[in-house]
Amino acid sequence: MSISAAPGPSVAPSLAALADPQPRLMDAAAMDYFLIEAVQALRQSSAVADARAKKVEDEMIEAGLIPPPPPPQVKVKKDAPRDSMGGAVPGAEDDEEGLRARLEAIGLHVGANITERLCHGRAAFTDTLDIVKFICKDLWSACWDKQVDNLRTNHRGVYVLQDNSFKPIARISSWESRSDATKRARLYAAMPAGIIRGALARMGLNGTIVPEINLPQCTFQVKLPKSP
Amino acid sequence: MATSSKQYKAIGEDLWKGRTEKINAELFAMTYGALVVQLIQDYEDYAEVNKQLEKMGYNIGTRLIEDFLARSNIGRCADFKETGEVIAKVGFKSFLNITPAVTHSPPPAPASPRSSTPAGQPTAPQPYFTLTLDENPLAEFVELPEEALEGGLWFSNVLCGILRGALEMVQIRVEAQFVSDVLRGDETTEIRVKLVKYLEEEVPVGDD
Repeated sequence: MSISAAPGPSVAPSLAALADPQPRLMDAAAMDYFLIEAVQALRQSSAVADARAKKVEDEMIEAGLIPPPPPPQVKVKKDAPRDSMGGAVPGAEDDEEGLRARLEAIGLHVGANITERLCHGRAAFTDTLDIVKFICKDLWSACWDKQVDNLRTNHRGVYVLQDNSFKPIARISSWESRSDATKRARLYAAMPAGIIRGALARMGLNGTIVPEINLPQCTFQVKLPKSP
Repeated sequence: MATSSKQYKAIGEDLWKGRTEKINAELFAMTYGALVVQLIQDYEDYAEVNKQLEKMGYNIGTRLIEDFLARSNIGRCADFKETGEVIAKVGFKSFLNITPAVTHSPPPAPASPRSSTPAGQPTAPQPYFTLTLDENPLAEFVELPEEALEGGLWFSNVLCGILRGALEMVQIRVEAQFVSDVLRGDETTEIRVKLVKYLEEEVPVGDD
């Protein structure tokens, strides 16, 4: 008697469906509205948390427990990577920093867990390139309904994922200027960057992700450490 | 033209099939879960988190109703009962692909008016309907810790806000609240939507 991988006639279709249920679907427009409002909600909650932390800090300064803060220094952000994203515009993005960090943290959680769900029943990954291809195809389809348009690598741990019409930012526009729209889009690329980073992390790779935006195109530069 | 419950179910199915873009609901469940965790960390107060979720839902609801009315052909509902039917069978179905059961409040005594008046009759009960969700896509991977249970967190409170926001845009003011939630150990997940009043079209401030 040979054991076959495919369910034989003894497995009723209903049982097979129970073991491997179809993922539940929901409307994408509703998800978009939700994400827009989630960003607003996080902006406010981030301000509340910062105010509370500042209040504690002020109390401690008044009580003499910690010295008063030094005068503000000129911040050099051009070369310093922050989290997994590089900051290209100095200064003005400070108050959005908390919001960006929160969006990326949510992305980390979502990316890691959705990857686990997607990898269910899949054969093991052969190498890093295989993992990156999984992200370009399966993860991108699950999250943004299409695949990455262009993948480039220097075969030394740097991968460039290019999406010519990246769904989270494709519809962003600003009546002020194109550069203003790009600035706002950078915020909305934080969660996707987190999703990619979370997916890589769950598969054992520790990488940095730098998104570059050229509306509506978005390019993610993924730097992975050299495999041992 | 009275539309029967079965017809609403069919309309809901058609709308759902006609939605062009669908995504994996697990993505939504995970994003929402991470958001709630972040809000809890930021506000450190479960009552405040409930309020913020409701507020977020209100904003979402005001947009969702536009989308809903644009895509469906549903006319004005004859009464609050019909509103409940449409929400349960068409609204939830077309966006979340679930159909909660809806139960209505007992009909008021014939003499009492339905909408509240300034000289209000305090004894006239406001109609309400209760949505019973036997599956909640938001709560798919969720387990609440002890302190969230004690703190009174309503995990899916965004749904209450969505209902309130959507109905306000069609001139119906309601109060939507969770009555029970399986995440809190209750037997069912129920939202009670109570009519406060029907709104008149208001002249913008400063015009008179």
